[in-house]
Amino acid sequence: MKKQLQITVNGELRQALVEPYYSLLDTLRDEMQLTGTKKGCDEGDCGACTVLLNGKPVCSCLVLAHAAHDAEVITIEGVANGQELHPVQKAFVEHGGLQCGYCTPGIILSTVGFLESGEEPSEENIKHALGGNLCRCTGYTKVIESVLVAVKATNQESEE
Amino acid sequence: MAELSAIGKNSIRVDAMDKVTGRATYAGDVYLPGMLMCKIMTSTRSHAKIVSIDTTAAQALPGVRCVITGSDYPDVRFGSGALKDRRIMAREEVFYIGEPVAAVAADDEITALEAIGLIEIKYEDIKHVVDPLQAISGKSVDVHTDLEDFEGFGFALGGNNCTMLDSDRGDVEQGFKDSDVIIEETYHTQPISQGFLEPMACVADVEANGRLDIYASTQGPYQVRSQLASVLEMSIGNIKVTAMEMGGGFGAKLRLALEGFPAMLAIKTGKPVKLVNTREEAFTLNGPRLETNIYLKTGVTNDGNILAREARSVFDVGAYLGAGPNAGVGHGLGAYSIPNFKLRSYGVYTNKLYVGSYRASGVADMNFATESHTDVIAHKLGIDPMEFRIKNALSEGDTAVNGSTIPVNGLMETILAVKERMGLPKKMEEGRGVGIAVGEWRSGSGPSTASISVNEDGTVSLLTGSVDISGSDTSLAQIAAESLGLRLEQVVVAKRNTDMAPFTGPSGGSRIVYSQGRAVQNAAEDTKAKLLDLAADWLGVQADALECAGGSVYVQDNPPQSLDLGQLARMSLTSRGGPIIGIASLSSLPYAPVFNAQAAEVIVDRETGQVRVTRFVQAQDIGKAINPMGVEGQLEGGAVQGIGRALSEEILIDKETGQIRNPSLATYLMPLSVDMPDIENILVEVPSADGPFGARAVAESPGFGPPAAIANAIFDAVGVRIKTLPLSAERVLAAIQGRDADEYTVDSEALRAAESV
Repeated sequence: MKKQLQITVNGELRQALVEPYYSLLDTLRDEMQLTGTKKGCDEGDCGACTVLLNGKPVCSCLVLAHAAHDAEVITIEGVANGQELHPVQKAFVEHGGLQCGYCTPGIILSTVGFLESGEEPSEENIKHALGGNLCRCTGYTKVIESVLVAVKATNQESEE
Repeated sequence: MAELSAIGKNSIRVDAMDKVTGRATYAGDVYLPGMLMCKIMTSTRSHAKIVSIDTTAAQALPGVRCVITGSDYPDVRFGSGALKDRRIMAREEVFYIGEPVAAVAADDEITALEAIGLIEIKYEDIKHVVDPLQAISGKSVDVHTDLEDFEGFGFALGGNNCTMLDSDRGDVEQGFKDSDVIIEETYHTQPISQGFLEPMACVADVEANGRLDIYASTQGPYQVRSQLASVLEMSIGNIKVTAMEMGGGFGAKLRLALEGFPAMLAIKTGKPVKLVNTREEAFTLNGPRLETNIYLKTGVTNDGNILAREARSVFDVGAYLGAGPNAGVGHGLGAYSIPNFKLRSYGVYTNKLYVGSYRASGVADMNFATESHTDVIAHKLGIDPMEFRIKNALSEGDTAVNGSTIPVNGLMETILAVKERMGLPKKMEEGRGVGIAVGEWRSGSGPSTASISVNEDGTVSLLTGSVDISGSDTSLAQIAAESLGLRLEQVVVAKRNTDMAPFTGPSGGSRIVYSQGRAVQNAAEDTKAKLLDLAADWLGVQADALECAGGSVYVQDNPPQSLDLGQLARMSLTSRGGPIIGIASLSSLPYAPVFNAQAAEVIVDRETGQVRVTRFVQAQDIGKAINPMGVEGQLEGGAVQGIGRALSEEILIDKETGQIRNPSLATYLMPLSVDMPDIENILVEVPSADGPFGARAVAESPGFGPPAAIANAIFDAVGVRIKTLPLSAERVLAAIQGRDADEYTVDSEALRAAESV
């Protein structure tokens, strides 16, 4: 039976009436019209559905919607600051870090989560942080390049 | 030529902003009011007669709006190519596990799924065959007993051999007699998935006037339209297909996929119906690549001249003929000049999911065989593999396997570039090795159209029917901008559907930038001619005294005397010729080969057989890089798909039933970021005669070489030759330990005998 649930999505308190078996992914897409988060496998294997749940990257297909009750969620629609792209988004745009774009929302959220984790942003660590995000188009080279550019941009920003 | 301003510059994709912000809309993102959800029921039998289908309980389930079976469709067959052997949904018989037998539309997906569980089907099993080498032997059951009645059935041996292609030149027997050394081998390649991240999705709606409105994830909207028209017996004019943003296709989405199911359910219910595949269905409902077995026999002289080649390639096509067997003849020689050859390629039916297209279907399989074989020959002769390739490489003026004369090309430049970058030849330390492979493709052609209209502010709107699967919209916009002297951001690329845009061939075979790009360039030239004519009238000069650049048309001898494109567009509204619109249409372009060379360095762990690629270098003749950043992206992505094919990817098929055993991304192992070496690209630019600004095709070739380059590197590292893909740790370890590896043998004697009957 459907139950009421509330989640703060991209800074906005959202309510929905969803079945107990509904995933966070299906709730975002079907109930909240946030279709930027993609379903690639629904099994936690591809990472396309990655969102930030209380600041940490998770596969939203593996999180039951009601388990995210009262949580804070950031989806791809909430990464930019209004019209101003996040440095990660900007780097992917400018350095060819995307092709078909289907894995892109998940990769961007994984990257944002990683950069906010405070872990050393070495190439090795970046590759591991994106180890759960499949991309079939780019071969990862330009994805990693884009993240390295974003790291640099973020560092400069924090120095300023 | 004047210096280029838009072409050859790294350009940001026109769709990049939408894609990083989540605004790009894929077919699964279409939500229409009152939309029903569709689920498909599939066969659980390898080959069986359908005795009965009872849908009563399913139809009675609350929330179910419609249940359809094969008998709801017109009794017609269609096909991926010329041979019409397939039904949209099984009627009296099923030919593989996973073949669609019924579909349900319900208020939500879970109800549709529950309804599927309530459909009762009674089957009566028929004998079946899974192994293609057995299927072609003549000693197994026939998958389709009415093969010879299928529309489009052509030359083949019959039985399970549904197509046979051939190509001959010279006297191959004499060539073998004149040879000092003859080498005969069989190579085997595995079933493989295209691995697109976006599972197939489609929304079908019916307009008030009865027209079908299809939102599809497709590379070929016009092909979906015509195939849908044929399976539904509707007029093409009554179907509109909108190709949504597409999350990867790589050939899998070239033709009618699953659109026929929501389409029929929408017609029956009068409501929009949506179908979104699960990941499991992405593996089991859509044609992957199936195994190939490739027999090669080559005669060479002691000093390294190849005199003769016989190739017999057996392509498993599953239950229905898809793409692939063409590569068996088209790519049986590799990039070499061989005076005498006999090439045969066989498509063989088996009781499993039908074969689909994947990034130059069959060529990567052929390349693994021919480029491993090339290495084997070189080593046998004691000649350096790179030098052996250089000695036999095709050159301008030679005759290609397809009969065309080889035009100017960059084959030798690509080989030499890789040789230099890798520092070849070189001997690496024990356990490490280096291998190379050379590939050949042709720039894709086919019907291409474009129109360009000039807006009142001097921007232009570009309309083409092609789907952007590789960044091609950006390249097409660059071509238009360059031709009209505009900046990239002054070109608007229209979102389009089959009602709005003129007909074009599908986005496949690396044809868009080469052929569609040529159409865009021609349309831009047409636009420019019209702009010059209008400006000539107003400026009182001859059109040939004018130039179009920097957003204006001006008098060459007196640049201040000018009109900008916005002024001209506004003036055109009341001019004799009317608003300015340039158009172009073409059906094909001449043969423009694409050559590439790739090299891999590997470390092989003797204890485990594990192979790690530590360095990958590739050079490709791309003619002219329209958008170098985009070209590199295609080369890198293609190479990594090839590395996956080489080392880890394999669809496991049950040998008894033909069922796919690993339909998930946890068990079908595609490369991850942590697995990949840095990939070094070398762009060789030998302009083609007809491509826009000299461009050639890009995207197919980079996937060809990795399997052979890595197999050759493994041989260099540890001295074992693996002739079966993937080059998995267990296979490599077995070879290192001298244990029997899986052997595949094409019975070439039997095939020769069958041919002469």
